[in-house]
Amino acid sequence: MTARKRPASPPILSASGIVNRFGKQVVHDKIDLDVRAGEILGIAGGSGSGKSVLLKTLTGLRRPNSGKVSLDGNPIESLSATQKAALIGVLFQQGALFSSLTVAQNVMLPMREHTNLPVVEQERLAAVKIELAGLPADTALKFPSELSGGMVKRAALARALALDPRILFLDEPTSDLDSLTASGIDELIVRLNQGLGITVVVVTHDLNTLLGICDRVAMLVDKKISVDTVDKLKRSTQPWIHELLHSDRAQGALFARKASHGIG
Amino acid sequence: MARPSDALASETLAINGEGDARAMDGVLDLRSIELARKSLEAWLKPGKSRKLDLGKLSGLDTTGALFLCELRDRKVELTHASNEHSQFLELIGGLERKPLPTLEKMPRWREMIVELGKGVDAVGHEAYDVTVFIARALNALLRALVQPSLLRPAAISKQILEIGIKALPIVGVMAIMISIVIGYQGLVQLRPYGGDDFMINLVAVSMLREMGVLITAIMVAGRSGSAFAAEIGVMKSREEIDALEVMGLGAMELLVVPRLIAIMIALPLLTFFADLMGLLGGGILANAVLDISPMPYLDRLHLAVDRSDLLVGLIKAPIFAFCIGAVGCMHGLRVGGSAESVGRETTRAVVKAIFIVIILDALFSVLFERLGL
Repeated sequence: MTARKRPASPPILSASGIVNRFGKQVVHDKIDLDVRAGEILGIAGGSGSGKSVLLKTLTGLRRPNSGKVSLDGNPIESLSATQKAALIGVLFQQGALFSSLTVAQNVMLPMREHTNLPVVEQERLAAVKIELAGLPADTALKFPSELSGGMVKRAALARALALDPRILFLDEPTSDLDSLTASGIDELIVRLNQGLGITVVVVTHDLNTLLGICDRVAMLVDKKISVDTVDKLKRSTQPWIHELLHSDRAQGALFARKASHGIG
Repeated sequence: MARPSDALASETLAINGEGDARAMDGVLDLRSIELARKSLEAWLKPGKSRKLDLGKLSGLDTTGALFLCELRDRKVELTHASNEHSQFLELIGGLERKPLPTLEKMPRWREMIVELGKGVDAVGHEAYDVTVFIARALNALLRALVQPSLLRPAAISKQILEIGIKALPIVGVMAIMISIVIGYQGLVQLRPYGGDDFMINLVAVSMLREMGVLITAIMVAGRSGSAFAAEIGVMKSREEIDALEVMGLGAMELLVVPRLIAIMIALPLLTFFADLMGLLGGGILANAVLDISPMPYLDRLHLAVDRSDLLVGLIKAPIFAFCIGAVGCMHGLRVGGSAESVGRETTRAVVKAIFIVIILDALFSVLFERLGL
């Protein structure tokens, strides 16, 4: 892995003035967030800080109480289902694989519904996506209930990649996984980002993911968001961010990053 | 879902050039792959060296990269690929690209025989499981009855509320409706013989002996048998049963026995209630169709039925109740780890409970006939 320096490219996804509230409880208070094409953006925050709600808002699953989300220059509400499917892929926290379908059928489902590709081509593609996600070929015929936690995430990732989306949203991709499996997933994310040029937005608790592979990190604190590179965020005076990035666990993760990147 | 046509139908690829050298211009992706495949098919046949210029290719996705890698495998030279694209091709080219494995297909006739064999085997196991579980449940139940300190009155009364009291309205309405149905059908058959008023006998006897207990049992199987399976099943799938086990508490004593006792109390009472409502339905019908007012109706009832008719119906209720409860709990405890197995076992519990109830009812009919009751 090498550190990537990218010129600031135009945002592929931009959210402005997002307000989300449940009853009287305000979760997000006028949040602005730009995701640049080709980057890996981490979204972090304490429990209940609204990470998942933000992810739902960005993917258009939840309409914000006010504010706009635009995807590739178009308001997200104006995109047709097919356009949206071709632009974004989502890896849900529990995988959300359809339990009555095999892994291959899960991967082929969006292709079947959104393209006119012949079945042979779909199968060929599904096999490649499954391999790309790092699963052995015989996994294709298995049902989700026969997979381990890490394999479920990989299979769900293969499905998220089915239509070659421009942006990949990952909700806690490494939660519930042992640290070796988790770093395997991290490597996979980087490989997809570099090899396929997919923009990645990853919501995570995992300091190794945040500090190890993200180009920038968005911290959700007190209904507001601060977005920057990890190095700059370390100088933040905000107590929660400071504490998080200077904790023992963070030092360990940063050490690992230095060891693998050669730089800080 | 309607097949989308807007975004994914536009084809933006052109393949130029003649002879051995061709050039691609535009986007090679999901949308244009078919076009590319078709137009290059003929070109690929001769075994000479061929070149494909990718200099003007502006977009590439996995589908396209896969196709280009295939071309490369077939000795087509790919030239002028941009940095980004060659990186992409390298990633895809570096994969093994094995085709999807396929399941070996069995001949249809063999498949049918194998299915049949599996089915018979499953029925055997099923019968064994039911027998074993019923024996274990009976054992736990009797132990609790012998040693009343093991009983859990709070749990039992809560279950009686759920199984019995909350089912009163639906069971009552069903009993009235069924008695009206029987009455009307009987009336049509009896009228030509001038036996209109025998409709009262028909309704009373069939409600008390058969229909009252049968519809109540089916209703309770649907309402409470399924609830047992689902409640216990969810606890099983969330490891709550294991937690009980670790704490030295048995699921049998804590979950199954209170439910069995409750259903065995509630179902006979519900059956009695259904009997009353059935007779009420008969009375309403008699009043409306035959102009027999309530007091003569009651007199008529005395002649039509005696205590044994009521008891023949009621004696079956606790036995049905035990079977419904045991089957419900058994399927609840059979749930595996996944959420869908809760649904599957719940369905099975209801189907099997109703099945057993009807089989037993048929056996009872024969038995009572032999006994002359």
